Amino acid sequence: MPPKRRTEGTAPKSHQSTLAFHGAANKVTKAGTRAPSAKKNLISEPVVKDIKVEVDAPDTVDEAQPTTVEAAIIEQTEQEVAAQKVALTPEEVTAKRITDAKIKKYWLARGGKNEKLKVHQKDLSMHEKILREFDMSGQYGPCTGIARLKRWKRAHRLDLEPPIEVLAVLLKEQEGDNKLLVQRSHVDELLNSRADEDA
Amino acid sequence: MVSLTGNMLRGAPFEDPAYLPSRAPSAYNPLHTFDLSRGTEKLYSQQYADMYFLRLSQLRKAVIERAKDAWGDFALGEERARMVDRVLDVRQGELCWVVGTVYMEMGLKPNILDDISKEHWIAAPPPRETYASGQDEMMLEDESGRLRVTGDALNAHYVTGCVLAALGTEQADGTFQVIATQYADLPRQPQRWERDDSELVVAKKPKPKRERAGKIAIVSGLEITGKVDDELALDLLLEYLTGELGGAPDQSKTTKISRLVIAGDSLSHSSPILSREDFAIKKSGKKGYGYDASAYNSSPTERLDFLLSQILPTLPITLLPGASDPANVALPQQPLHPALFPQSRQYANPPVKSNESLEGLDSVTNPWEGDIEGWRVLGTGGQTVADLLKYVDEVETLEVMEMMLRWRCIAPTAPDTLWCYPFQDEDPLVVQDCPHIYFAGNQAKFGSRIIQGPADQQVLLIAVPKFSLTKTIVLVDLETMTVELVDIGIAQAAA
Repeated sequence: MPPKRRTEGTAPKSHQSTLAFHGAANKVTKAGTRAPSAKKNLISEPVVKDIKVEVDAPDTVDEAQPTTVEAAIIEQTEQEVAAQKVALTPEEVTAKRITDAKIKKYWLARGGKNEKLKVHQKDLSMHEKILREFDMSGQYGPCTGIARLKRWKRAHRLDLEPPIEVLAVLLKEQEGDNKLLVQRSHVDELLNSRADEDA
Repeated sequence: MVSLTGNMLRGAPFEDPAYLPSRAPSAYNPLHTFDLSRGTEKLYSQQYADMYFLRLSQLRKAVIERAKDAWGDFALGEERARMVDRVLDVRQGELCWVVGTVYMEMGLKPNILDDISKEHWIAAPPPRETYASGQDEMMLEDESGRLRVTGDALNAHYVTGCVLAALGTEQADGTFQVIATQYADLPRQPQRWERDDSELVVAKKPKPKRERAGKIAIVSGLEITGKVDDELALDLLLEYLTGELGGAPDQSKTTKISRLVIAGDSLSHSSPILSREDFAIKKSGKKGYGYDASAYNSSPTERLDFLLSQILPTLPITLLPGASDPANVALPQQPLHPALFPQSRQYANPPVKSNESLEGLDSVTNPWEGDIEGWRVLGTGGQTVADLLKYVDEVETLEVMEMMLRWRCIAPTAPDTLWCYPFQDEDPLVVQDCPHIYFAGNQAKFGSRIIQGPADQQVLLIAVPKFSLTKTIVLVDLETMTVELVDIGIAQAAA
């Protein structure tokens, strides 16, 4: 008898992956929210960064996909959080004991007296100001492409003596709402902001 | 009787039992310093600035200590030298010293535009032999900025990426006139058997009696093409290593070899990034859509696999990938995948089960660090040394290897001209423990030297030549630390 014909098709399905040019997942052009434009920052508007948060339910398809840099920082933060759940390192234990009053004292000693002169930082919380100063300290390494917590730990491991109050601030922010946002330094956001499509 | 003089033509056969030598055992304890994590944990979104920062912060303390010892009471006239924290803090006319990373500004360094022109023009410009030209500038860099450095004391050669302390003063035009430099020098050297002994102490087991160590054979640059041309040399090598070559005296010498280390470039033309000639051939070939499976030639890999599977029953092998091997191009090159060796992988632990094979085929990273017979061995496939030699001229391979150890950088020119993974947490390319043996494969010619360190460290440097050109392998006696070169070939009759 002649061999039976295959019913599912004339050729067997190849296991090689194929390129796909369709679908939302393969969209080549970057769609995204507008980068916080320079104009907006001049006006006194609170630094609202919750547009880019993936922790909230994604409202549109565009904002759901983080860029590679964001994804890397999110990944690092998640690893740190997982490590914290397992065991707290000694410096984290010390940092958890630092009170808000101590943090304020540290900040005032660091030059918090010139608060009134820094108009551009008027709307930032003290925690954010401390973290920005930590970002801008070059002796702990570049602040882009790395989560702030991971940067502090790396500096500590290399015996560069980063201030323990910064770790205290980071751990306090971890318990807040925007735990993923706070890990990304502001400079990193500015340097790696999404392209503005409609401009 | 088989006499030990090796003359098998005398005496009646089979009266005495045949001479059955057995090979010396190999005590092997590899390290996984250069293993990268797999899959999604390996991120490439970070920049290389992190790597330079890590290198500087890891070496800064050691350099500062050495500089303090050397220049603590240095005074020029009445002025004493003092240390300056940041590179940009040097003041004009003030004698001071500063620590930073060297950056060589060279016009002839590879340019991304060359890669682009490779695709647009008929032929790419030929790869440069050396980057050095007359107008190169040297700078010292740290997180604050860069300082242009000049001076006669810079006759010693430096390359991008080494960490130095420089003593001098700033001139009127902003350049830093250097009087003397200081590097970190060799780090602490572990004792022989230190790792094994400490593991035994932790496990509360007694120390075993260790036998006299054998020799290791190091070969590099097999460059197997699968063609008939290399058959003779490879067969002779195989017979030498398995003891089939020669009579009883030769066999008794060969039984002392306890491990074979293949230091890179086992296959020629198998790098994922095509060389200039291969790319030209491919471009002129037929243009089809998709991957042409018939273009793959599996005979080189099969030949290598066959060779390894013949050696492995008697001799354990440590296999390092090289520049022309099918491993990733960026340092640190990850181990060659066991899928390449269908026959030889029976002698290796599958990666799922374990990431090392102590007896059998151990496919390791390039560069590689491990303990063989208790001695700490550090080896590379030669790309780091070859790249460094392009920055300097009239310098020998062994001098370059010595300087790399004294700067404590295994690959100082990475990531500048040598592709590298962007490390963010810790730079494993900084030498933490001083090795006892440091070898580099695929060098132009053989060389060996013993160097001394400031704390009585002694390192044996070995430059292993390419087997495909010189037909030689290197034997290192691990008890006496002597090196011999074995020439494998057919004796030519004297003309």
